[in-house]
Amino acid sequence: MIKSISRRDFMKGMAVGGVAIGSAGLLSACSSSSSSTSTSSTDTSSESSSTGETAAVEKPASISLMFDGTVVTQANGQAEFFEKLTELTGIDYDITQPDHDAYYDVLGQIIAGGDWPDVILLSSTYYSAYAQAGVIWDMTDVYEGSDLQSRVEASGSTSVVDGMYVNGRLYGMPTGRGNGCLTYIKQAWLDAAGLSAPTTYDEYLEVLEAFSNLDMDGNGTTGNNFGVSASGFIGSDSPYVNYLPEFYQDAWPSFYQQDDGTWADGFTEDSMKEAIQRLADAYAAGLIDPTSLDQGTKDARNKFYAEEFGVFTYWAGTWATNLKNNLENNGVDSELVALPPIAEVPYYYDRLPVTWCITTACKNPEAVFEYFISAMHDGGDVEFAWTYGVEGVHWSTAAETLYEGTDSEVTYEEGQFHMLDNLETPGTQYTKNHLDPMLELVAIEDDPQEETVAAEARNSQQTFNDNCKTVTLVPSTDAMEQYNGDLTTLKNELIALVVTGQLTVDEAYARFESEGGAGWSEQIVASLNEL
Amino acid sequence: MKKEKVALTAEEKTKKRQKTLAAIKTHTGFYIMFLPVFIFALIFCYAPMVGVLLAFTNYNGIKAITPEIFVGLENFQKMFSMASFWSAFRNTLEISVIKLVLTTGFAVIISVLLNEIVSLKFKKVVQTIVYLPHFMSWVVVASLFSLILAPTTNGMVNTFLVSIGVIDSSNMIYFLGSNTWWRPVYYIVNLWKETGWQTVIFMATLSGLNTDMYEAAGIDGANRFQKMWYITFPALANTILTVLILNLAKIMNLFESVFVMQNDAVLSTSNVLETYIYYQAFNSGTIPNYGYTAAVGLFKSVVAAILVLACNSLSKKVRDGRGIV
Repeated sequence: MIKSISRRDFMKGMAVGGVAIGSAGLLSACSSSSSSTSTSSTDTSSESSSTGETAAVEKPASISLMFDGTVVTQANGQAEFFEKLTELTGIDYDITQPDHDAYYDVLGQIIAGGDWPDVILLSSTYYSAYAQAGVIWDMTDVYEGSDLQSRVEASGSTSVVDGMYVNGRLYGMPTGRGNGCLTYIKQAWLDAAGLSAPTTYDEYLEVLEAFSNLDMDGNGTTGNNFGVSASGFIGSDSPYVNYLPEFYQDAWPSFYQQDDGTWADGFTEDSMKEAIQRLADAYAAGLIDPTSLDQGTKDARNKFYAEEFGVFTYWAGTWATNLKNNLENNGVDSELVALPPIAEVPYYYDRLPVTWCITTACKNPEAVFEYFISAMHDGGDVEFAWTYGVEGVHWSTAAETLYEGTDSEVTYEEGQFHMLDNLETPGTQYTKNHLDPMLELVAIEDDPQEETVAAEARNSQQTFNDNCKTVTLVPSTDAMEQYNGDLTTLKNELIALVVTGQLTVDEAYARFESEGGAGWSEQIVASLNEL
Repeated sequence: MKKEKVALTAEEKTKKRQKTLAAIKTHTGFYIMFLPVFIFALIFCYAPMVGVLLAFTNYNGIKAITPEIFVGLENFQKMFSMASFWSAFRNTLEISVIKLVLTTGFAVIISVLLNEIVSLKFKKVVQTIVYLPHFMSWVVVASLFSLILAPTTNGMVNTFLVSIGVIDSSNMIYFLGSNTWWRPVYYIVNLWKETGWQTVIFMATLSGLNTDMYEAAGIDGANRFQKMWYITFPALANTILTVLILNLAKIMNLFESVFVMQNDAVLSTSNVLETYIYYQAFNSGTIPNYGYTAAVGLFKSVVAAILVLACNSLSKKVRDGRGIV
């Protein structure tokens, strides 16, 4: 059920909680540094369009936007970018960009205050909750049958947009794919072990055993390497299983929608018990780096560069280049196999992307959809600007040498497309503006991606894109708000205890029952099925 | 004997008011200097306290604060019914109290030993060495000990235990991943990091001791241990009690040191109230119920306030009727 919050409700709320909001606002005003604070629309009575037509809509004179630091910042040429956007669209943009870390605090205060911008940027966690609270506009009827939908379909991105439906309705347009992790294996280690890239779980275990038991780093001793390492045996947010997919296979530790449309908790299913057992067995056999339990991602990466383990499931795309470069910097063989999922793994998981949403306070949401949301994915000049930025500020085709006299020196010929030096962090080159060229929703005509993205990054991204599934967007419910914090903490604790050999699977599930986990899980599933 | 309150006449009230105004006038400069602090405290310490109202709502950051979201004591009912909350509460008290006793005890011992060092130069060097860990961030300390205690060939402690035959290489101890070992390791790390710094206050007390007493005791035939036992320790008793009492009021504030050292496998022994609140907020997979986390926070503050009052009462007894607050 979608609740709508009217302006009257907010005014009433302001009267009751005025002091609280006021003091919170006062504090936030001290801590945030908005790049500007101009918003215009305050009418919260707008309802979603039900025209179902793509009839011509009047171009808005201006659109107010609020977004976090993932969109070009002032220091990175924000003024030039929006000037370019105005030139391309003929629309003025009123921008609010709080400190990146304080974005959702400030957004919450603005929403509670009632002075909403036309368009906001939301992560998946906030997207469904804001949709259910009636804060963001239902764009389903305008999107379906639109030119944008045709372009999305033509680019093979339908599943990305489909993943953003909440109870059959669409409330925002993703920036692109969310991206995810795929498994990289050191080719030199495979060669040394006389093995080829695994295609089944048995072959995968064979690779791990070889990597753990042979002298893979060539230091003359065995037993000081591991097959695989990760940051945690399970993640605390979706997609939870993305760092060790070969062990989890088809198991999912949280809530998902079954084929018949009902919701279930995958943690209570046999597939999850089997997955935990596989992890425990591999841990006991010394195939998994035990410090995976408490190490961070940076620690895991550094161990990979230091030749302490050979199989690493990590982000697709640009990270393939980063891993390769860091291995090279450590003076070791840098060739990595970007592994397609083994037979038992149905797919890698694509994270839910961030989403541009129109608020229900927007006076002309259809026009904003057409001239902002749809234009951002037009496959032409506007999308190009959102992806690569502004010529002379973020990219160039002029003949020039960047980072002259340094290890990073690179020379470009006249007409060769290249990204420029980062204005905010000189010494590094821009890789994108806001939209990621490798994760695009709609393909750009004459995309210079081949010139800007390294081959291994494109290869790993393509392997991932060909074998991924967007994770299920789980709607927010009162029961979930109440119990999922405790439930997730308990699940993660039990998994860790079983994997490290401190509990058996049966003991863990008995604790899951006795400590209330099963009850919370049932309540959340019931609340989801009631939606 | 209780003093009886005597009702003031109108004339007396006027006189009292005039006296107060005169005092303010006399000390106008002080009041002006006090004003910024007063305003600061009002805005940043007292005004935000209105936020405790959230503990009685199911506010999630989106819902407007209207009467509809007030849920009375529902969050407290849920809190008291959750085994995980009680586990975190128990862990907070246990870990904090043991940490406090150990750290204070070791600080006293080290202070006394430092006091016995004759060479001033050597004493300064030792003092500097024991103070230094205090200035390292908990994140760095946790990384350092994770590495030292790692259950792999990289772990210095396990490698040493293997080399002397205490354990074999296939059964290395996961100190930070075991519910048996986590707390002892936590206390040791705390001792290493904080004991030195705590010696400062005891060293200050010892430096004020009259050396004549040691000379007199020496003339009476007391040996070094007897001097320590009969002069140094009694001289420190008041300071030890004051330090214990002051720190007792802070025992509910336990987050950073635990958070950076804990992991999923040791939550049952390491989860304290502040990390419990953190996991409620960031493990929910959705926007959490801030009302509930505010309720837990409010409960923590109430317990801390009770401890402060109890400490004050205790300190009055220890310090001849003078309270700390």
